[in-house]
Amino acid sequence: MTIAISDIAIAVLSTTLQLSPFYLFAGMGEIVSEKSGVANMGLEGIMLLSLVTTFIVDFMTGNPWFAMLVALAIALVIGICFAFLAIQVRLDQIALGLSIYLFGLGLSFVIFTTLYPTGLTPNYVGLPPIFGGWGKVPVVGIIFLKQNILAYVSLVAVPLTAYFLNRTSLGLRVRAVGENPKAADNMGVNVNKVRFLATLFGAVMFGISGSYFAGNFVAGFQTDIIAGRGFIVLAMIYFANWRPDRTLFAALAFNVVYALQNEYVTISGFGVASVSTLFNMLPYVFLLVLIPVFGRKARAPKFLLKPYRKG
Amino acid sequence: MQGLRWLQTTAYNALAIGLGIIAGLAVVVYAGGHIGVALSSLFLNPITLSGGIQQIFVRFVMFYAMGLGIGIALKAGLWNIGAQGQLLVGMVMVFVVYTFLAFFPWPLLYLAMILGAALGGLLWIAVPTILRVKFGANEIVVTILLNVVALNFAFYMLSGPIKSRGTALGFPLTDILPPRFQIPNIVAGLPITYAVPGTIAIGILLYFMVERTSFRVKANTVGESIETAKYAGISIPRVMTITMLAAGALAGLAGATYIMGYRYELDIGSFSTNYGLVAIIVALVGRKHMLGIGISALFFAYMTIGAESMALAANVPTYVVFAMEGIMMIGILLGNYLSERRFAG
Repeated sequence: MTIAISDIAIAVLSTTLQLSPFYLFAGMGEIVSEKSGVANMGLEGIMLLSLVTTFIVDFMTGNPWFAMLVALAIALVIGICFAFLAIQVRLDQIALGLSIYLFGLGLSFVIFTTLYPTGLTPNYVGLPPIFGGWGKVPVVGIIFLKQNILAYVSLVAVPLTAYFLNRTSLGLRVRAVGENPKAADNMGVNVNKVRFLATLFGAVMFGISGSYFAGNFVAGFQTDIIAGRGFIVLAMIYFANWRPDRTLFAALAFNVVYALQNEYVTISGFGVASVSTLFNMLPYVFLLVLIPVFGRKARAPKFLLKPYRKG
Repeated sequence: MQGLRWLQTTAYNALAIGLGIIAGLAVVVYAGGHIGVALSSLFLNPITLSGGIQQIFVRFVMFYAMGLGIGIALKAGLWNIGAQGQLLVGMVMVFVVYTFLAFFPWPLLYLAMILGAALGGLLWIAVPTILRVKFGANEIVVTILLNVVALNFAFYMLSGPIKSRGTALGFPLTDILPPRFQIPNIVAGLPITYAVPGTIAIGILLYFMVERTSFRVKANTVGESIETAKYAGISIPRVMTITMLAAGALAGLAGATYIMGYRYELDIGSFSTNYGLVAIIVALVGRKHMLGIGISALFFAYMTIGAESMALAANVPTYVVFAMEGIMMIGILLGNYLSERRFAG
């Protein structure tokens, strides 16, 4: 049995482009948040809650856009709670993030099983592919046209975030309050307000990620559905040294490795056999190996995790 | 003043835990559960149900061992989010030693299984330790990545190298450890194994080694400010290496107690509960104190079993316990903040 290399390449590219947006939205959100000095480790909790909201509202109204809007509102509410506790009350950001993760992990599943004891939403609509029927066209269609609009928005979000951080005055203030809040304060920047805004932006981006996940990974909800992928975002932006362009590279590289091993396991017919689990490790090991290469130069924002008190 | 402060912190913690429990009860009642049944399963089932007492002590040992490690690392400002991964590797190592060193005579093999588990956890955390000390890589990121790798590694080992040759259907399942490789009960009939006093002994030992020596000051200095530690001439790599490796070894050891003292075999079900995250809360509630973590571990062992049994009684997924823990943790952080602010003036 021979399988054309080109078929594999098309499948790998298609999967990569389908999975990457999840990491890109969250990555851009976490970069802006961390650049301001606030690390949100609860991102996966926010993703899970907006994911389950997307499922439920989509099923109830049949309107995927409205579902996403409600999901983003939920993400925003949790973001406000997180920002208040981390910035105003100055609780430990890591411990707080983990509690939000636990909260979201537990609550999302309880909500879902209480509403849908069978485990599946019967009619999940989801966002349509951007070019409708063109998604079946060979090569170009399968790789590019079958994705929904969010996939393209995520690709645009990368240069936009870079532009925002490096070229706008609010972006400059975001970086300033993460690098040297005292100096920023002296310059008349309201440190905690900027941090608040950056953190909320992050939370909304996690909401988009969660919402995107609903339509693009699996059809139904299950326990721990995101399975640590949210935390992988933290690793990606770390390797990317908090740079949006490199995060794009990290996300694409990670997903190419993921898609390659996935194709290989499928084609070779290992199925449930033991070796497939070794291949499942590959994307993560790939990231680990990158640490001594790229992580060496990584430098976190100087006041990351450090709350600011005026005076 | 010290006593008053302690009392206040305890009161806040109790309030936070109460809030978490009320939230859990609310979910259970909302889902159609009866409040009386819910309350009695929460508070009484851990001691009245058959196997409840055993479960309490199994979890106490795991939470205490893992919490000690997480607490030690936290003193030096290091977050071990990967206790779950180290625990899994510890569990796997028990069977790796059992399978591949089977030619060892009995007492030696028994000891090697326990030490192998600790060594497995230690090697697993050696990766983030080296990356942190040599390359300055963030230990949170690396320990999280290694959790996923550990899970896949455990699946692989279970479906091949340490799989039982006896299972006909090819289920990924190990052999059952024969009784001479199990950790025995202290008193026949009472399901409390020697792992319980063993872990408490480790806790007390660590109390004298960590809390009562200059090591505590060193670790705390590294944890609070690397610059100050440098200035004070403290060897930062040494403190980091010791605390991290201890954390990994203790989590691996927890895996040995779970397998050799309770489950006796390894299957996919052994991987399903994330004890590593709960252990972080246990360490924080115990305020990183080697004895405080013990009390907190006992409490969380009781509480999680009660809450799971409450959820089952009301036909609510046991995942509700995670949400309760999340609320409790936020409340506890808030309580610590409030009592510190009051006494800091």
